Parts: sequence; structure tokens; C-alpha cells
Amino acid sequence: MARELPYIVAINEAIEFEMARDERVLYFGQNIATPSALEPFMDAFGGDRVRLTPISETAEIGMAVGAALAGLRPVVELYMSEFLLVAMDQVVNEAPRFHAMSGGQVKVPLVLKAGYGFTAGWAGQHTGSIYGMFMGVPGLKIALPSTAADAKGLMATSIRDDNPVCFFYHILLTLEHGEVPEGEYLVPFGVADVRRTGGDVTIVATGWMVDRALAAAERLAADGVEVEVIDPRTLAPLDTATILESVAKTGHLVLVDQATRHGGASAIIAAEVADQGFDSLRGPIKQITALDATIPYSEPMERFVIPDEDKIVAGVHEVLGSAPVAAKA
Amino acid sequence: MSSDQEAHGLDKDRLSWMFKQMVRIREFEERVKNTFEEHPGAIRGHTHLADGAEASIVGSLATLRGGDQVLATYRCHGYPLALGSDANAMMAEIYGKKTGICGGYGGSMHLVDVDRGFLGTSGIVGAGIPHATGAAWAAQIRKQGQVVLCFFGDGASKQGAFAESLNIASLWKLPIVFVMENNSYNVVTRVEQEDANAAAGEPLAIKAKAFSMPGVTIDGGDPIEVHGVVGAAVERARSGEGPTLVESKVYRLSAHGNIIAPPGIPLHYPEHEAIAVFGAPEEYEAALRGDPVPRFRARLIGEGTISAEEADEIAATVRQEMQAAVDFAWESQLPDAAEALNHVYA
Amino acid sequence: MTGKDAEAKARPGVALDAQAALALLATMWRIRVFEERVGVLKRADEVYGLMHLSVGQEGVAAAICSQLDVADSVYSGHRAHGHAIAKGAPLNRIMAELMGRSDGLCRGFGGSMHLVDVEHGLMGATGVVGGNIPLALGSALATRLRGGKEVAVVFFGDGAVQAGHFNESINLASLWGLPVILVCENNGFAEFTPRSAHTNVERVSDVVAPYGLMRETVDGNDVAAVWEAFGRFLELARRGEGPLLLECLTYRLRGHYEGDPTQYREALAATEWQQRDPITRLARHGTAAGWFDAEDLERAEREARTEVEAAVGFARLSPYPDVELLEELVYAGRRKP
Ligand SMILES: Cc1ncc(C[n+]2csc(CCOP(=O)(O)OP(=O)(O)O)c2C)c(N)n1
Ligand SMILES: Cc1ncc(C[n+]2csc(CCOP(=O)(O)OP(=O)(O)O)c2C)c(N)n1
Ligand SMILES: [Mg+2]
Ligand SMILES: [Mg+2]
Repeated sequence: MARELPYIVAINEAIEFEMARDERVLYFGQNIATPSALEPFMDAFGGDRVRLTPISETAEIGMAVGAALAGLRPVVELYMSEFLLVAMDQVVNEAPRFHAMSGGQVKVPLVLKAGYGFTAGWAGQHTGSIYGMFMGVPGLKIALPSTAADAKGLMATSIRDDNPVCFFYHILLTLEHGEVPEGEYLVPFGVADVRRTGGDVTIVATGWMVDRALAAAERLAADGVEVEVIDPRTLAPLDTATILESVAKTGHLVLVDQATRHGGASAIIAAEVADQGFDSLRGPIKQITALDATIPYSEPMERFVIPDEDKIVAGVHEVLGSAPVAAKA
Repeated sequence: MSSDQEAHGLDKDRLSWMFKQMVRIREFEERVKNTFEEHPGAIRGHTHLADGAEASIVGSLATLRGGDQVLATYRCHGYPLALGSDANAMMAEIYGKKTGICGGYGGSMHLVDVDRGFLGTSGIVGAGIPHATGAAWAAQIRKQGQVVLCFFGDGASKQGAFAESLNIASLWKLPIVFVMENNSYNVVTRVEQEDANAAAGEPLAIKAKAFSMPGVTIDGGDPIEVHGVVGAAVERARSGEGPTLVESKVYRLSAHGNIIAPPGIPLHYPEHEAIAVFGAPEEYEAALRGDPVPRFRARLIGEGTISAEEADEIAATVRQEMQAAVDFAWESQLPDAAEALNHVYA
Repeated sequence: MTGKDAEAKARPGVALDAQAALALLATMWRIRVFEERVGVLKRADEVYGLMHLSVGQEGVAAAICSQLDVADSVYSGHRAHGHAIAKGAPLNRIMAELMGRSDGLCRGFGGSMHLVDVEHGLMGATGVVGGNIPLALGSALATRLRGGKEVAVVFFGDGAVQAGHFNESINLASLWGLPVILVCENNGFAEFTPRSAHTNVERVSDVVAPYGLMRETVDGNDVAAVWEAFGRFLELARRGEGPLLLECLTYRLRGHYEGDPTQYREALAATEWQQRDPITRLARHGTAAGWFDAEDLERAEREARTEVEAAVGFARLSPYPDVELLEELVYAGRRKP
């Protein structure tokens, strides 16, 4: 049975379900577990498994690594992805290294739950879409749900995975409702979701951009352009096969990413398709990304920097060498 | 005027100036808070207010002289006001306008006014502490007797950057004073829930010991005491004897910040955490009774430094100033969208 | 009695006696000979990568690890060989690891700075200074949740104390009362920099003074003193008390890394080293106490030499790992079909 739930509630449901199912799962972080905020968690699982931590990201994430080495499965609440940047050593140079460096003796199952992309007047330090920078870290997995159901299913899979997982949820989606299956629900890693099928052009979009891409596809359909929209759902592992298959069909690729243009997920996907699917391409790959700028506070400038529906529509027309119907008239 | 005031060179004019700055900060913050009703949607993102910390801010900054520098956190409206920044430009920044003090790029959390020595803030807890330490190093190299004041919260003392910075500042005898504004909260966490010293009933200033640095705890609600202690630390720093950690105990009179919500949901200030989260309204009411602004007003009037009429006049002037700031901000233009790319690189 | 038998009998909570002392002597010799042999192998280019040797610091590793059980977790850093040996990791497999061979502790994937031996409770070593301290807290937290008696011990140098995560960890460990023992091997230098250039606070135990944890500074080259102090700490930690910090003042006899020209400090006069060398000191102490005779001393060294030589032989014969392992080890749970 599925019901409508907000995205953020779906995430919490997965954590709660997994904590009930597996007593090795811990949940800790700053500003959780105060008397009112997280009572259900506290009541259900007690103050040992649900813990409030000081503002000490390095120690928090480092402790999660240690607890994972000792057989537990911590979920660390970070609220905003930027806060894990203060603990980069633990995130990129401790957690994902131990399994390989130990020759496979140990594993580090932990989840870093971090919100991103809060382009709603949070200015330069709380708005980043920083997931791309972790794609170059072997051993680290990256989940990036765009729907409430995926949010639940990917969180559950993240917790059950034997590796460190950065679970990046989009803050602008937190209150968006969607159908969410009840009870146990897992979404596999490395399996993209084809959200709309079409034969003219492939759009690969992530997170909040998936809905923007679907809306753009709707408009383009009115112009007679059939767009296939793919959400990779996890960036590591990345379902390159599904993307290549789609490009083989459409011959055109537009990548939509809220992150900056350079060093981001879309650049990496573009490179994979150029490398492995060049023969399928009938034109250049187009990247619709945020501009390479610190996100400004003021709304007009903020809007200017991030991709939107109009930019996606224009990008599709550009790769197809077509023009919107309205413009033709 | 009492002898400790004279001892710190606080004459009538200076005291009255300090009072005025405290009133300016309070009024400014109330106008920011009020904006959520007055001009819904004008302020986006997150704001953090300094109401309750006025005495600590003004008492500290009143010890500085030209050329000294200040760095702080996202809770940053108070400092530039006391340093002489234009309230219009500050409010316009918070409204995201082109006329803002940072041209609308920074917003509430990132005010900067280099000309007045306010070098900037970070929205990342603890990150400003090494920045300030670096500014103090620059001051030491320049040898012009500059001192840096570094403001941060109690929560920030749990960040590694705090310890790293205080160690280096102590080792290099940098001209800096670390002012920890201990308001007993990190968002909805009480200090004794996250700090081993607080949990043991100890003052947070004790942490200075780890760096072989003096540490003092003061009543941040009393601007004269703040002025005396921070002043002595500033002189110590200026004379090359090195840094001091001052734990200034304050109580923030508003919630941590406005609510956090996606666009479309109107923002506002919720009730203070003491009431909303901890069910301890008596704590909050006690803090209101100790409110440093009326407390200082009463003291100045009681000691005959200013009259009640003069105090009212100050308040009235300030109200006008801040009304003008709100009007200015509201009427100013938004920046052009394409300006977004103007400052990617210097 | 061979060194290993004696080791097995060493038990905490008791004053050092003949049996325990002999075990410690054997362990220290094994570390000493191993490290010196690695130095030779490094110069011959037979071991790979940077080697940080613990010659001179053997007493700390021996006195601490020999009181631990296999189930107790040890975390170490870049200078980890001694800790691994003392915790029971087989010399053959440590040596093979340093040569990057498939029989290495980590199948040649970790090398000198990343020794892990889960079987013997060496949970991890990291090359990032101080990066291991929060990890040990996590282990202690896990023990607490399981209601176990195991303790977590983390070794780090004086250099790690100035890193922010040290302070974050001390606050957290104190706040939560975690059963973790922090062992600082204060050898007075971090790389090529003396402690005085890193901080005003000479003693690491003074750095934690603001936090109410149990702390003590001992002469780390006096094995009996380390043994005794750590034994007391261990009993407390086993009862769930903590955190505790033991600072061991010691001296690394060789460079920061093997090949370091050590131009930043005066070489120790041989006579001065005789005063400090933890092995010589224990030998003197034990001989005076009637714990061992010249024959025992000679045997400890000789057995260590034999064992280390065998380890070199073992490692040399071990094949390099299969490169296909590389892909298998990117993620846990990925097994080749
Ligand atoms: C590194 C980091 N972690 C978490 C946050 C989220 N955060 C913003 S303000 C704040 C509380 C800080 O408390 P304190 O230092 O006492 O300052 P106060 O807000 O009380 O003035 C937190 C946790 C952040 N901005 N940066
Ligand atoms: C975070 C980090 N910074 C710098 C280094 C380089 N480095 C390797 S060992 C070392 C010195 C560490 O000194 P100490 O902790 O006293 O240990 P010792 O080498 O004396 O045993 C440094 C700086 C590193 N590995 N990690
Ligand atoms: Mg605070
Ligand atoms: Mg050292």
C-alpha cells in the first residue's frame, strides 16, 4: 500500500524502519533528540542509539567510522551538506579508504544524511549542490533521491549497504508529497529511473532538477519533441548503461544539474557518454547547469545562476537544431 | 559616575554613546524581525538576531580604536552598527537589494564593511575563528598596534577550528581577543548537553587553560564590565602579550533564527527554545527581566549620567533612523540578475 | 620459556613481575629488530613507500598492548609497526604488507601506514595525523551499546594534539564518559619540528586539563612505569570508566621517516641513549631484580632475530597481489562471480 507522504517524512520512515529492524543502526547528529523534536525516535530506540552531538563534525563523522568498524551502522544527521566539508578528512580519506586499505578485512557501513541545494535566500554557504565532488572518491556511494518514494527506498538501501554512503536530499523537496510504499521498501543502487520515455532527446537530471526536466519535457511535447527523462538516483554507482541505451535511441543528450558546471555530475556523465557512446551521438552533448558562481543571496541573481525550465527547453532546442513552435510563428 | 567607569575613560558622552549603540542594535533587530509581518517575503533565507547581546557587543567594540578589526558569525547585525556602518545599507542587504552593504550578494548572514574594520563573517560554525586569527597575524606583521576582536558562540567552541586557532594565537602571541558569546544554546541544544565543561558546571572560559592562555567569564549583560575586561584584554593584546579568551554570558532574547522552510511558506520568528522546546518559560522571563538595554538605561539614569528625557530622545532618534533604514531597504531596487557573475573572481 | 609463551601469561592489574617483564623484553626486541631490519630493507629498496620506525619507543607499545585482550580495539597512526607487533599481528604478514605482497595483513593494499589486523584487534591505522582519535571513540561507543567490557585504545603522537579533532574528541569522550584510553607517545617532535614550535603547552596531559578526565604523564622509556600506569587505567576502563589519557614521554631514535637526514636535532650521545633506551633499562632493572639473567637477555634478542629473518624470507616469497583485487575492494560486498 502506498500513501502520499512528504519527502522528508519518507526519509525518516526509512530510518525508523531500519532502526526497528536492525539494532545495529544508530542515528546521531546536532540538534536532534531534544525533548520535543525527536521524541518518537527517542521513545522507540532510547538515548544510546539516538544521540545528540556537539558541533564537532570531524569527531561526529570520525566516530561514525569507528562505530562502523566496530560493527554498527550509524546514520549521521548533517542537515546541510556543507557542514560535512569541515570533516572532509573523515568523509573522503577515512571512511571510504578502510575497506580497501585493509585488504577487505573491515567495512565501514555508515550514512551521511545531508541536505543540499537550498536556493531560497540562504546565500553562499548553505546552498551548494556539492555531490559531484564526491564522485571521484572510490569506495563512497552517493544517493540523490528526487521523489518521496526514492527518498525512502534509497535511505533504506543506504543503511543496509556495507559502505559509506552520502545520502544527499534536496532541501527544496522536503515538503513535496509523493506516493510512498508502506513498510519495507528498498530502491536498488545503480539503477536509473526512466521517468518519461521519448525518442527525440535524452535528458539526464538529478534531484530537484528532475521535476524541472519533466515540466520542460511536457512543454516540448507540445512542440512535438519527445523527451526521455532519466534520473540516475545514485551517482555512485552510476547506471551508465541505461543512459547509453537511451542515447543510442535518441542520439541527443542534455544534462541538467543544479551543481556548477565544472567538476560536477553532469560533466562526469558527459564524459562517460562521449567515451562510451560517441557513435550514438548525432550532435554535441548539452549541459544545463548552475553557473560557476557562489550562489548570491538576492533572488534575481540567485535565479539567474541556477537552471530552470526555460533554460532546459532552450537547451533541448539547441541540440536538436530546432526552434520552439511559438518562436517559429 | 562610578569610579570603575572613570577608570576606563568612560565619560558621560561615551556612556551615552554606548547606550545609543545598544538601542540602535535592539531597534534594528526588532525591525528585522518585524519585516516578516510588515513586508512578507522581503527577507529570504535565514536571519539570526543579536537582541540580548547588545551590552556585550557594544562594551567590547567600545574598547577598540581606529584600525582595529572585527570578525564574527552569521549572527552579525550588531557589530557593524556599533562600528558605524550605515543602517540603511545594512537593512538593504538583508532585503537583498542592490543598495545593500554587499550589493545583495551576502544577505543577513554575511555582512561586511571593510572600511570600518568589519572584515566579515562565516555561516559555518567556528570557521570565522581561524579567519580572525589570520587577521591578527597580519596585524602582528604590520606592527601598527592593531588588535582583532573575534566573536563566536558557545557552540563554536566544540569545533576543532576553535582549538587549532587558540593554540596558534597563544603560541605566536597574536594581538587578538576571542570573545565567546555564551548564550547557553546552540540552536535547540543546551550547552550542558554538548559541552563537557558546562555539563560539569564549569565556566567555558576554562578551556583557555588548554592553550596556556588567560580565560575570563563575564556578565555580558553589563556593558561596563564587558568594557573593563575586554578593554584589559585588548591592551594586553596590543602590547604584544598575546590573546585572551573572554566568555561573555548573554541571553539571546529571540529564537535561534527565523523558521527554516522552502519557498512559499511564510517565514517568521518562533518562540524562544526555552519555551518552545524545553518548557521553561521562567528561564526566558528571568532573561527578560535582566534585559541589558533597559538595565543599562536605568543605571545611567540612576547614576545621573543621562536623564530620562535624554534616554527617550535617543530612543526616538534611533526609531527614526531605523524607520528610514526599513524605508530605504524596501524602496531600493533589486540587483540585475546578470550581476550574479560580477564577483566570481577578484 | 619462549618469548611468546611468556607474552601469553602477561596479565594486567598486577605489578610487573619476572614473567611479565620477560614477555615485555621479548616484545620490545621483536619490535626493535623488526624496525631495524625494515630500515635496512628500505635502503635496499625492498619495502615500498614511506617507513616511520618506532625504534626507541618500543616500551610504550609493549607495555600497553601486552595488557590488552584480542577483543580490545587498538587504533594507530603512521608509526604503527610496534603497535601491530605488540598487539599480536604475525611478523610474517606485517613484513609481507610492507613489501606489498598478497600475504600481507592487508593483502598489500595498506602498507606501512595503514596496518589493519582485525583478527588481533588492530582495528585500523591512518596516515592522517589524529584522524584515528574519533574512530576510537566510535569503537568505545559501540562497546558501550553492546554492554561489553572491551576497551578502545588509540595511539597518537604529540603532533596530533594540536589538530582540532583532538579537542572535539576530548569534549565528546568526556561528555559521554566513553571507555577509551588515549595514549599519546610524546617524542617531542612532529616531523622535523620540536613541540615548542607547535604549542606553548609542553605536556599533553596539560592540554586536557580543562576536561575532567583521568590523565597522567609517565616516562615512556621506563617500561615498568608505563605498565603500571596503564594497568590502572585499563582496570578503570574495563569498569566502563573513561576517558583516560596516558602521556608517555619518549624518544624516537631514528629519523621521522627512514631516510630522514635529521638535521633538525643533535644526535644523542651513545651514553645518553644508554640511559634512555627502554630495552637497556628494562634489562638493567630486571637483572637487578633477579628477574632474568644474561642468558635470558641474549635469548630474547636471538629469538627476535630469528623470527624477523624468517619474516623477511616469508615476505620475499609471497607473490604480489592479483590486480583484479583492486576492483573487488572498491566497495565492501562486491565479490567477483
Ligand atoms: C559547521 C557547521 N555545523 C552546523 C551548522 C548549523 N548551525 C548554524 S548556527 C548553529 C548554532 C551555533 O551555536 P553557537 O556557536 O552557540 O552560536 P549562537 O547561534 O548561539 O550565537 C548551528 C549548529 C553550521 N552553520 N556550521
Ligand atoms: C593531517 C596531517 N597533516 C600532516 C601530515 C604529515 N605528517 C606525517 S607524520 C607528521 C608528524 C606527526 O607527529 P606526531 O604526531 O608527534 O607523531 P610522530 O611522528 O612523532 O610519531 C606529520 C606532520 C599528516 N600525515 N596528516
Ligand atoms: Mg550559542
Ligand atoms: Mg611526535
